[in-house]
Amino acid sequence: MTDIIDKAAMALSAGLMLLGLVGMGILEILAGAPYSPVPITNEAGEVMATPLISPQIRTGVVLAGIAVLGLYAAYKVVTPLADDAKAGQETVAD
Amino acid sequence: MYNRELSTMSYQSGNPLVDDVEFALDGPWAAYWIAFLRVATGWWFFHAGITKIIENGLSFTYGASYMQGMTGTALGPIPVWMGNNLAWLIEPGVPLFETLIGLALIFGAVTRLAAFGGVIFMTLFWVGNAGFGHGLVNSDFMGLLLMITVIMLSAGRYYGLDAVIEKLSFVQAHPKLRYLLG
Repeated sequence: MTDIIDKAAMALSAGLMLLGLVGMGILEILAGAPYSPVPITNEAGEVMATPLISPQIRTGVVLAGIAVLGLYAAYKVVTPLADDAKAGQETVAD
Repeated sequence: MYNRELSTMSYQSGNPLVDDVEFALDGPWAAYWIAFLRVATGWWFFHAGITKIIENGLSFTYGASYMQGMTGTALGPIPVWMGNNLAWLIEPGVPLFETLIGLALIFGAVTRLAAFGGVIFMTLFWVGNAGFGHGLVNSDFMGLLLMITVIMLSAGRYYGLDAVIEKLSFVQAHPKLRYLLG
């Protein structure tokens, strides 16, 4: 059974992770080279072009999504189990 | 409800009248693959840990200096602070915990807790290595996703010791332990 908190955790975590990976990735490609979040340097090591969005921001957004999953896990740990969840569920393995 | 019906259907692979053929075929293979992913991920960590122990014992000094160099990441000052102040834990902890996480995943025991430790490791590797030359989704991130997948699918319940451990009366009496097992 999923309630509003389950749905909110799913939507927020997936939303943040997809925003950091895909959403900002599309913007990075549309903005031109570099297409990945690393600066382009010449042979002398001089920075020729910098990414539109820094990897700190993008990894931070993705990690925020993962942190939502962590918070959800913590929420599940501290809240009482539903009556129908107290017995172990049979798995399809055997 | 959906899961219960699904697992019931998957037991009926010998019944030609069940119309959900895909589920009947997918169930055992999905379980097999979840278990395989868990074991492969475990071996990956176990190999990384045990080879460090063989070569340097429990004094992985590179770990602390690696974290001291993790400046300007999305984790802010946390890794640098850890490198500066927790070297006593990091130097033995990296090889020890990599080895233990690997063993736990291989045998499927205390799987979710072990995989949570793996999430911590892979988060630090992902932002610390910052190998983003071909995009954010790199092998470090795939490792992070694998650890989360092990937690999400409670992979220890498939051909793992957690399937046995979770049936112990102690766990039955404390069902929340399944959040650390499974």
